[in-house]
Amino acid sequence: MKQTAALTIIVLALIAPACRRARYVEDDTSKVHVGIVFDIGGKDDRSFNAAAWRGVKCAESGTLPDGKTSCDKPALGIVLRDVEPGTPNSIEPAMRAFAERGYDLVIGVGFAQAPIMQVVARDYPDIHFAIIDGVVFADDGKTPMPNVAGLLFKEHEGSYLVGMIAAKTSRTGTLGFVGGMDIPLIRRFEKGYEEGAKAVNPRIQVLQNYVGVTDAAWNNPGKGKELSLAQMDRGADVIFTAAGNSGLGAFDAVEQAGMQNGRATHFVIGVDSNQNMVKPGFVLTSMVKRVDNAVYDIVKEVVEGRFKGGFHVYGLESEGVGYVIDQYNRDLVSPDAIREAEDARKKIISGQIKVTDAMAQ
Amino acid sequence: MTRLRELLFPLIAVLCAFAVGALVVLFIGDSPIETYRLLLGSAFSWPDGIGYTLFFATPLIFTGLAVAVALRGGLLNIGAEGQLYIAAFATAWVGITLSNLPSALLIPLCCLAGIAAGAAWAAIPGILKARFGSHEVINTIMLNFIAVALVGYLTQYHYRTAGDPIMESAPISAAAHIPRLGQFVPGLPARIPLNAAFLLALLSCWLVYVLLWKTKWGYEIRATGQNPSAAEYGGVSIRKEIVLTMAISGALAGMVGINEVMGYRYRYYDGFSDNYGFTGIAVALLGRNHPVGVIAAALLFAVLQRGGVPVDAFTQLVSKDIVLILQALVILFVAAEAMFRRGGRGPGAGGRI
Repeated sequence: MKQTAALTIIVLALIAPACRRARYVEDDTSKVHVGIVFDIGGKDDRSFNAAAWRGVKCAESGTLPDGKTSCDKPALGIVLRDVEPGTPNSIEPAMRAFAERGYDLVIGVGFAQAPIMQVVARDYPDIHFAIIDGVVFADDGKTPMPNVAGLLFKEHEGSYLVGMIAAKTSRTGTLGFVGGMDIPLIRRFEKGYEEGAKAVNPRIQVLQNYVGVTDAAWNNPGKGKELSLAQMDRGADVIFTAAGNSGLGAFDAVEQAGMQNGRATHFVIGVDSNQNMVKPGFVLTSMVKRVDNAVYDIVKEVVEGRFKGGFHVYGLESEGVGYVIDQYNRDLVSPDAIREAEDARKKIISGQIKVTDAMAQ
Repeated sequence: MTRLRELLFPLIAVLCAFAVGALVVLFIGDSPIETYRLLLGSAFSWPDGIGYTLFFATPLIFTGLAVAVALRGGLLNIGAEGQLYIAAFATAWVGITLSNLPSALLIPLCCLAGIAAGAAWAAIPGILKARFGSHEVINTIMLNFIAVALVGYLTQYHYRTAGDPIMESAPISAAAHIPRLGQFVPGLPARIPLNAAFLLALLSCWLVYVLLWKTKWGYEIRATGQNPSAAEYGGVSIRKEIVLTMAISGALAGMVGINEVMGYRYRYYDGFSDNYGFTGIAVALLGRNHPVGVIAAALLFAVLQRGGVPVDAFTQLVSKDIVLILQALVILFVAAEAMFRRGGRGPGAGGRI
C-alpha cells in the first residue's frame, strides 16, 4: 500500500506543474490551414529550417517563434501545423497527412523534398504546395507544376557581397569557404563569394572545402571545425560557411583562435539566418537568405487568394538575400567595405555587374 | 496454453509502456486520449494507415529476420545497415545497367543482385571470423561505414543524373518496378507504396522458419549457436556455419533494397534507410528471434513510425521527441517483459537464443 501511495504522489507531483494545457476545440475551417514539413535537420538548426519556421510563425501569430517579440508584420489568421520528419521515408506521409485533411498550403523545406512533392502534388491538384530551394516540374519535366511554387534565392549575389566584405577585412590575402554537402546549390555560394573577393583583390586566394557528399554533411560541426582550423593553418583569416549545422564548427574554430588587442584575429561569416549573435565579435557578418520573408509572402498569397505556381525568385532587388550589419558587428566591418558593397549591390541590381550562377552552368 | 502466455506478456508490456507514455503526455500538458487517438487512428485507418504501416514494417521484417538468424547461429550481426546499403545499390545498379531486359528477367535479376550483394558483404566478417577469429561485432560495424561511404561515392560520382542536387542515382528501368499491392487489393490506392516486397517479407519469414527448424542446415546453425564445441563434436564444421549464417543474414538484410528501390522511389537514394539495420536488432530481440515474433515486433515499430507523424503534426504540445520517448518506452517495457512473469525467472529469462 505504501508503494501505491508513494507512486500516486509522484504522479500527481509530475502532473501538477503542467499548467500549460492543450485544448482541443472544433477546427475552424474558415481559416487558411498551413502545414510545413521540415527537412532532416529539424526546425531548430539556427539556420535554414529556423528561417522557414520564423516565416510561418510570423504569418500565424505576428511574432517570432518565442511567441512574444513582434516580427513587424501582421498575423494572417492561419491555422499552422508542423512536422519534423526525422527520416526520409516520413516526408511523404507527412505531406499526405496535411493534404488528406484538406490543408490549403503545404510547405516543404529543402530541395530534397522535390521528388516527393511532385508525386503528392499530382494527387492533390486543388491544394497549394510550396518548396524552398527547389522546383517541381510536371510530368513533361519542363513546365513547373501549376499548384507548386518553387521559392528560389540568388545566393550567388548575396555571397558576392560578403566576399567583398571578407576581402576588405582580410589581412593575409587568404579566405576560406566551408561548404556542407558538395552539390551545385552550395557551389553557387562558393562561386559568388570568390568572385566578390576577387573584385576587391584580384590576387586573393580562396581555400575551399566541403564537409561531405551525403546528407550527413549538414550535421557534422566537428568536421566543420576541423576543416576551418586547417584553412586557418594555411592562412585564411575570414571563413564563409554554407553548411547548415556543420557551419557552427567554424564559429568554434575562430573563437578558439582568440583575440588580439580586443579584435578577433579570425572571422567567420554566417549563412541563411542572421548568425551575428552566435559568437559576437567573431562573426564578420551573415549572408542572409530571407527564407522567412519568402515563406510569409507565399502564405499571404494563399490567404489573399492570389497564389501562383512556378518560380518565385528572391534576389538582392527584393531583399531575398543580403548581408547583415547590426549591433554585434558594426565595429568589425570598415565603413569603406560597406560603401563598396552597397555600390556593388546597386550595380548587380541594375545589371552592371553579372555574378556567375554556378547552378546555371 | 504456453503459446498463449508467450503472447500475453509482451501485450501487457506494450500496454504498460502506453500507460507510462500517457503520464508523460499528461506531464507536458497535452491530452493522452487525443495523442493515442492520432497515433493508433492514423496507423490503423483504411487504406492509408494500414497501407503505410505495412510498408514501414517491410524493411524491419527483413532486418529483424537477418539479425534473428545470425543470433540463432550465435553471431551478432550489427552490420545489417551496411549490407542493406550495398544491396540496395546493387539492385539499382542492375536496374539501371540492364535496362533493356524485359520485366520477367530484370525483376528476378535485380532481386538476386541485392540478395547476393548483401550476402557477400555479410560473408566478409563471417570469413574473417572463421579464418582469423576476429570478432564479428567489430567487423560488421566497421563495414557499415565502408558500405555507406562506398555507395555514396558511386552515387555521387558515377550514377547520378547530371545537375541533380539530390544524392540519388538515375532512375531504374520501368521494367524493374515491382507492382504495388494497390493494383490487386480493392480499395487500396496505388499511391500507397506498399508493394510486392511485403509479400516477399512474409515468404522469407516462412522460409526462415522452415530452414531453421525443419532442415538439417538449420539444425546445424542452431546447434552452433547454442554450443559451438558440442556442435563441432557432433560433426558440424563451425567455420562453414559461421560464413553460411552470416551470408544468409546478409541476404535477408539485402532484400530491404527490393522494397525501397524497386517498390518505392525506383532509384537508389542516399539516406533511404532509417537505421533499419539497427532497429532490426531491437525487432529480433523483441520477437524472441522467431519469425512470427519478428513480424509482430516489426508491426509494432511500424505503427509507432506511422503514427509518429500525425502526433507530431496535429497535437498541440506533443513534439517529435515525445514520440521518440513513447517508442523508447515500448522497447524498454517489452525488453524487460520478464518482470511481468509471476516469480520472474530473472535475467536472461527471455534471452534464450
